[in-house]
Amino acid sequence: MTTSGRYPLLFSPLRIGPVTVANRIVFSAHLTNYAEEGLPTAQHAAYYAARAAGGAGLIITEEHSVHPTDWPYEKLIHGFHREVIPGYRRITEAVHAQGTPIFAQINHNGGQASGMYSRLPVWAPSPVADPLFREVPKAVDEAEIAEIVASYALVAGHCREGGFDGIELQCSHSSIVRGFLSPVTNRRTDRYGGSLENRARILLEIVGAVRAAVGSGLALGVRLCGDELIEGGTTIGEAVAVARLVAEQGLTDYINTSIGVATASLFMIEASMHVPPGYAMFIPSAIRDAVELPVVGVGRFKDPLQAERALEAGHCDLVGVVRGQIADADFAAKARAGEVEDIRLCLSCNQECVGRMGLNRWLGCIENPRTGREAAPVPVRRGPPKDVTVVGAGPGGLQAAIAAAESGHRVTVYEREDRAGGQVRLAATVANRAELGDLVRNQLAACRRLGVEIRLGVELDGGAVLAGRPGAVVVATGSVPESPYWVPAEADPEGPAVCDVRQVLEGTAVPGGRVLVVDELGFHQATSVAELLADRGCQVEIATPGMVVGQDLGITLDLENWNIRAAAKAITQSTDLVASGAGAGMVTLLHHPTGRTETREVDWIVLAVPPAPAEALYLELRRLAPDLDVHRVGDCLAPRRAHSAVIEGDRVGRLL
Amino acid sequence: MSRLLEPVALGPRTARNAVVFGPHETNLARGRSVSDRHVAYYRRRAAGGVGTIVIEEASVHPSDWPTERSPLAAESAEGWAAVAVAAQAEGALVLAGLGHAGGQGSSAYSQAPLWAPSRIPEVNSREVPKAMEEEDIEAVIAGFAAAAALAAGAGLDGVEVNAGQHSLLRQFASGLTNQRTDDWGQDRGLLLRRVLVAARAALGPDGILGVRLSCDELAPWAGLVPETGGALAAEVAPLVDALTVVRGSIFSVSATRPGTQVEAGFNRELTGLVHEAVAGTAAVVAQGSIVDPALAEELLGGGICELVEMTRALVADPDLVAKAAAGTPERIRPCIRCNQGCQVRDNRNPIIGCVGEPATGWEGGPDGEPAGDSPPPAGIGPLLVVGGGPAGLECARVAALGGLRVTLVEEAGRCGGAVRAAAAALGREALAGLVDWHEAECRRLGVEIILGTGAGPAEVGAHAGPVVLATGSRPGEAGYLIGPGATPATPAQALTGELPEGPVVVWDPIGGPIGVSVAETLRAAGREVTLVTQDLVVGQELARSGDLAPANGRLQSAGVVLRRRSLLRGVDRGSVRVEDRFTGEVTVLEAAVLVDAGHRLPETALWEATGSRLARAGDGLAPRGLAEAVREGRRTALALLGGSSS
Repeated sequence: MTTSGRYPLLFSPLRIGPVTVANRIVFSAHLTNYAEEGLPTAQHAAYYAARAAGGAGLIITEEHSVHPTDWPYEKLIHGFHREVIPGYRRITEAVHAQGTPIFAQINHNGGQASGMYSRLPVWAPSPVADPLFREVPKAVDEAEIAEIVASYALVAGHCREGGFDGIELQCSHSSIVRGFLSPVTNRRTDRYGGSLENRARILLEIVGAVRAAVGSGLALGVRLCGDELIEGGTTIGEAVAVARLVAEQGLTDYINTSIGVATASLFMIEASMHVPPGYAMFIPSAIRDAVELPVVGVGRFKDPLQAERALEAGHCDLVGVVRGQIADADFAAKARAGEVEDIRLCLSCNQECVGRMGLNRWLGCIENPRTGREAAPVPVRRGPPKDVTVVGAGPGGLQAAIAAAESGHRVTVYEREDRAGGQVRLAATVANRAELGDLVRNQLAACRRLGVEIRLGVELDGGAVLAGRPGAVVVATGSVPESPYWVPAEADPEGPAVCDVRQVLEGTAVPGGRVLVVDELGFHQATSVAELLADRGCQVEIATPGMVVGQDLGITLDLENWNIRAAAKAITQSTDLVASGAGAGMVTLLHHPTGRTETREVDWIVLAVPPAPAEALYLELRRLAPDLDVHRVGDCLAPRRAHSAVIEGDRVGRLL
Repeated sequence: MSRLLEPVALGPRTARNAVVFGPHETNLARGRSVSDRHVAYYRRRAAGGVGTIVIEEASVHPSDWPTERSPLAAESAEGWAAVAVAAQAEGALVLAGLGHAGGQGSSAYSQAPLWAPSRIPEVNSREVPKAMEEEDIEAVIAGFAAAAALAAGAGLDGVEVNAGQHSLLRQFASGLTNQRTDDWGQDRGLLLRRVLVAARAALGPDGILGVRLSCDELAPWAGLVPETGGALAAEVAPLVDALTVVRGSIFSVSATRPGTQVEAGFNRELTGLVHEAVAGTAAVVAQGSIVDPALAEELLGGGICELVEMTRALVADPDLVAKAAAGTPERIRPCIRCNQGCQVRDNRNPIIGCVGEPATGWEGGPDGEPAGDSPPPAGIGPLLVVGGGPAGLECARVAALGGLRVTLVEEAGRCGGAVRAAAAALGREALAGLVDWHEAECRRLGVEIILGTGAGPAEVGAHAGPVVLATGSRPGEAGYLIGPGATPATPAQALTGELPEGPVVVWDPIGGPIGVSVAETLRAAGREVTLVTQDLVVGQELARSGDLAPANGRLQSAGVVLRRRSLLRGVDRGSVRVEDRFTGEVTVLEAAVLVDAGHRLPETALWEATGSRLARAGDGLAPRGLAEAVREGRRTALALLGGSSS
């Protein structure tokens, strides 16, 4: 089948005002935390250029702040300083070298900020504190509104000088414009508050000022929130009405869309794998029905076919694919070439992209070690290619194999089990976590492409590894469950029975009745198994020493939906509890803030606790062959999460 | 005779006095290098008379990258040299803080496994570290030696090795974290001794070698307790010139720098015990919420230490020593131990600051206060400040320092504003120290303070000269239904004992210190108290100051009922309705009164009545915290004075 036959709409050009895009795949705006001291960096340029080289039709940068009162997070680009222009040029030249247009998003976050960095009062339409930042803003007066409008024009001018092909006004996730549009945050009684026309006044003034500043040579877009998902907030009807006002003004070339508010309902903006793909399509669809402008749709697009279908159904004219291109910079090129099986599909796990943003760290990817490191050179192999033996086909071993093979080595992977994937495969067996398994699918596809030999069902000891006379060995043997000290060596016949999460997922333990999940990991292990068992009819409680069950689900934006599902499934969540004993049908728990002891009558205890590294093979090889080039990666070094295994595999594989 | 201000021997060198500015995170680094901002920060303390400065800890090995801006020794030699030149010129000794956070670090920046003696995860990160191999241990020892050599080469007076609350060396020394069966486990002090010997060899005999040692991990089941901590101190003291006694560990990092709920000088007994065990082999440095020169003097006089660390006090007032030496200790801006600006171990990388001193962390910037001997600026009439909270007081004080004639009017019978009310809460009495100081300084500088009298539009209009409004806040709009006969109370009313008898519900949508301290105070007075929040954790905004876990412990131990994940839907006479965020279930709680600790609104009546154009500062502009109030108070004064002299 030809490319155009497979995705004819996705790979058709489109005019956006003065700009023509070659295809409909947009790398739309998202934070990266790549800025340093308010300036764009070489990493920004390399990051966007990689996606341009990978075939994206249009790139829209992360936001650039228009005013010093706006500094909600440390690594924000301060577009209001002229010093940004050389950095802008570096970005636009790198992207234009690939023949790809690039727009700049400009914004003022308004009340969705604090004064921590700016050391200034926060500006907003009304003194309504944001639910995340919890700082009461100063209500801007008319002079300050005029100053904001002028500052948008100033920064748009910087962007034009910096070589951008267009400007996007973020009026959606986190913006003073959204603040004015939304009845929740706009309580004004002057001409900027009350009726929709009044609430939209600042937006139209900004559009007018920006258009005047950039002239007709640049595209201008407005990004609107279709549903804030907050009590009393903007919903689709008003969003469509605002889009109409914008279109009627006649100065805007396209409408971009979004769902949710960055500080109150972020979990639906960057929805994880628990939310169905395409969940926000009703927004561009409704807006496209109402206006003549091209409309961008977003919302967990991870497959070109899905994007093609959205275009075909008329929901939108362009499709934002952000995480899909974070995971695979060549997403568009591979789709165009029909190499769909080679696309490194995004898992929507949110662990290293979204998850690092909230923690003020640079943007990365669980399965793409290059993401965030585009500006750094790829290490090149020194010396002749080797025969590399990798033991273990979990994420660490497979990534080591991929990196070694890409460096020109001949690689064989040995796996004891009859399937690759290690714990990731197991974790993906739980309902709503299946997409995590795409990590294994992607790694296996890469191994196939690179000619890595994978031998399943083969367990090697040190002697067997050495008998193959390998030039280098990577041990990736993972970890094994380990019982904490308080679990009796011999199970009490009166119960409770004790097992590990892995045994439940493997099916080698089948808990029933009253189950206590002991969670010392704070991530998906405990919550996944709790849901699985509740679905099977168990009465489930999770106890954690932490202050929150599933603490790190907050980082991946899974916490809100977890709590909703847990409530629906009647899963009890108990915090501040340290398990200290089991027997006679009971488990004993210490409530550590008060020192009080509690007990529970339970039939089963399921442990979500740190496993032990399976390091025997590594230690044996070190002993048997001290001069052998042997490395270990992932859990057998220290049991952690998949990302650690992947980056260690990549690092070791490239340096062999 | 003051021992605090007398010179004291520190190994081969002599400190000009006994006051030490201890190592602490600042986020002033650029990349991982000690920076020009560090130089300005430490120079300012040296200029104020401090005897010894220990620069923020630098990691001795690339395997350690605990916070994004934590300096790396290998990248800090140039910065160290610049700090040495600047601070030594002012007469201070300067040491480099050296350390490795081990399993208490982070892999987020290095993207590499954490190193620790055994694979025991830290309780908050829950990340399992790599149990160090022999070559890793040797690399760390070599790292300490190389860093000490770099420090000596940079012209520093010595180094302080961290075996305190966040350290690999303490992890090796403790049974909580070292479960090894090899030599490093059989002899848990071995690594610390090896490091100190290596650092001494690298420094040479002329350099000062200090160690910061946790002598009580507050985890007696396996950790160091005062007896074993003292024994370890005695073991290592002969290897060093100075030993700083600290307490706390992986289960008690909040003990590193506790807030107001823990008494000042809390390490006194432990320090005395260690001093005895060390028996003069090393100078002992006392540490632990010592923010008052009188307490420092008392500890020195008590013979339990030779030096005192007064870190936070010097964050709040760099001129502490100079003011004490001038015989005016009452002029020292007090540290109120709030930890709101100076506690910066936080992912967001806040720059170190102080609620009471806006120039801290921004030395040389525009927020510095004018010198006290400024001539009166020409052409500016007398200043009228309306409102005697922290914003108004700071504005009046700085304007007076700058030579302006100032009148301050305060409606209430006392100065202090919202701080006065907040300080009425249990364990927060120390907060009042700052506004008391402000008031005393204002009086010393000749500010006319008129209490018990508000100013209306007429008085303001009649004033010939500039006016600053610092009128504070009023209650916010209720986001819930208020039934007939129900009147929500404010936190100030709750803390000043104006509530009707009976059970109380405290609604805390903010999660800061106010809601929590109101609940604690009412509970301590014998009330039944329920604290309601929409958050999954009570007091979640206390994380930065370090009081999150301690506050939750105090609340639960006291028997405050915590109703998390809940929205306040309505208040009626005798009851409150709350809704579970995730189930939608509505519960009616018995309550004689609801205390609403939610967001407030600016009190703008006077501003509006006078044409919406007068300068405003603090809560009257936007209700926020103490730091913002003081900073805006200062800035409005500096703007009047036409700039600043920092």
